[in-house]
Amino acid sequence: MTLALEPRREHRADSSAVIGALVRRTLLRVRRMPAAFVPSIVMPVFQLIAFSGAFGAAVRFAGVENAMDWYVPLNAVQGASFGAMGVSFGLINDMQTGFFDRLLMAPTRRWTLIAGPMAGSIARAALPILLVVAVGFAGGMNVPGGWLAFVTIGVAAVGIALVASAFALGLTYRMRNMGAATLTQFAVFFTIFLSTSQVPLSAMNGWLHAVARVNPMTNVLRLARQGLLGDVTWSQSWGGLLAIAVMLVLSSAFALTGLKRLER
Amino acid sequence: MTVAVSSSSGLGRLLTHTAMLTRRSVRGRLRQPAALAPSFIFPLFFAALGAASFSRIAERPDFQEIAPSFLNYNAAGAILQGVLFAAVSASGDLATDIEQGFFERLLASPVSRTSIILGRLGSAMVVAVVQVIVFLSIFIAFGARIETGVVGFLGMMIGGALLALAMAGLMSGIAVRSGSPEVVQGSFPLVFALMFLSSAFFPRIYMTGWYRTVADWNPMSHIVEGMQSFMNEPLAADQFLRAWAIPLVVAVAGIMFALRALSTRLKAL
Repeated sequence: MTLALEPRREHRADSSAVIGALVRRTLLRVRRMPAAFVPSIVMPVFQLIAFSGAFGAAVRFAGVENAMDWYVPLNAVQGASFGAMGVSFGLINDMQTGFFDRLLMAPTRRWTLIAGPMAGSIARAALPILLVVAVGFAGGMNVPGGWLAFVTIGVAAVGIALVASAFALGLTYRMRNMGAATLTQFAVFFTIFLSTSQVPLSAMNGWLHAVARVNPMTNVLRLARQGLLGDVTWSQSWGGLLAIAVMLVLSSAFALTGLKRLER
Repeated sequence: MTVAVSSSSGLGRLLTHTAMLTRRSVRGRLRQPAALAPSFIFPLFFAALGAASFSRIAERPDFQEIAPSFLNYNAAGAILQGVLFAAVSASGDLATDIEQGFFERLLASPVSRTSIILGRLGSAMVVAVVQVIVFLSIFIAFGARIETGVVGFLGMMIGGALLALAMAGLMSGIAVRSGSPEVVQGSFPLVFALMFLSSAFFPRIYMTGWYRTVADWNPMSHIVEGMQSFMNEPLAADQFLRAWAIPLVVAVAGIMFALRALSTRLKAL
């Protein structure tokens, strides 16, 4: 009897089933280790309250009616990005326990090993996004853009969760230690804060204005905020959508090349 | 590192052992720059971010009554943030000593029990003094000015050291009680909340509602405003009262809590 090294097409697991199983595994980890998940819920909510309370005057002076209108999208995006840390920790754990080797030996397409954890990060992002929006409502958030405002917040937050998780995967495949999660957190943190995170571009000056103007996160936050500051328009949307698309392509390529390097 | 034990007794013995354990602790911290770096990098990053984000607000007449620039306003907040980060980290090291067994080796030696705690607190104070010097040097290089001059510089240095003593004392109590670095790090969000719900990053006059009420009652607001007034106001007695006396009172309570936790742990052995 000969062993086929390359599994025939019909023997490969259905990709959507593999991704679904990896998402369920992510959620199972959340259920088994809630202590590791709680900070990703608490921190965005606390930061929303702290920023609105402390820096509220800064955005009101810049023409924003309610500080929540400015900080809800920021914290939804940041809260969603925390899922990437969970993806990195989960992958390290799988590498240490040998589960990842079993995944590599399984008759699955390689890209599903990237897409699965990325889809898992969307599942992890859902609760922080919903909680931040709920606290925003409690704080008197305005929604002049109607239901489309929530669509743009969701698209921006989920987009950043996907980008951050792909980046985290790429780093973890290369570093194979907890440092990857820390570096991911730093990268996301600095990218978000070096944009219009705290105040509008018009209120900034000097180096931060120059950096925030070219930082793609500024476009993403503009996409997320537009429905809370006015109508949702294409002119306010396309820059953020393009930024997410480009970052997603680059970070996914980073993750795929990292996986190939790991296999070698 | 070996801890040499002198044959002297009483206070002299306590001070000698505390100095030795402080030196060990400081060296241990210097050997792990990655653990110490966040307490320097993040406060300076936030200070730079704040100065660039809020400098236009600093031109308002009501802000000018508080500080001549946002950089001047921000210096005390950066010191507070850095000192608190480092103090929590120093207490985490004490919990690591317990977890990894070095604490028990110390107990097996004739070293003063109290100095085990005080040594850690001493190192937190040394790091705080270095932080204040580094932070103020950077702020001055970027254009900040200390209204009270050298006295204010020293005032903030001592204030920073006392604040480190206070926070490290409280956190050391938690470290000794739990013996777990994770529990100490898990307490950090409380410190983070205390810091944000104060006037460390933005003046109280611009806060409203319940947030303002919390900031008014938060001792951190008064400590940081004491330090801010060293930067921005002429020399006055209340600066010392707020920047020194409040942390000193908390430090006494913190040390008592830590020593009590140590006593409980020793009895349980």
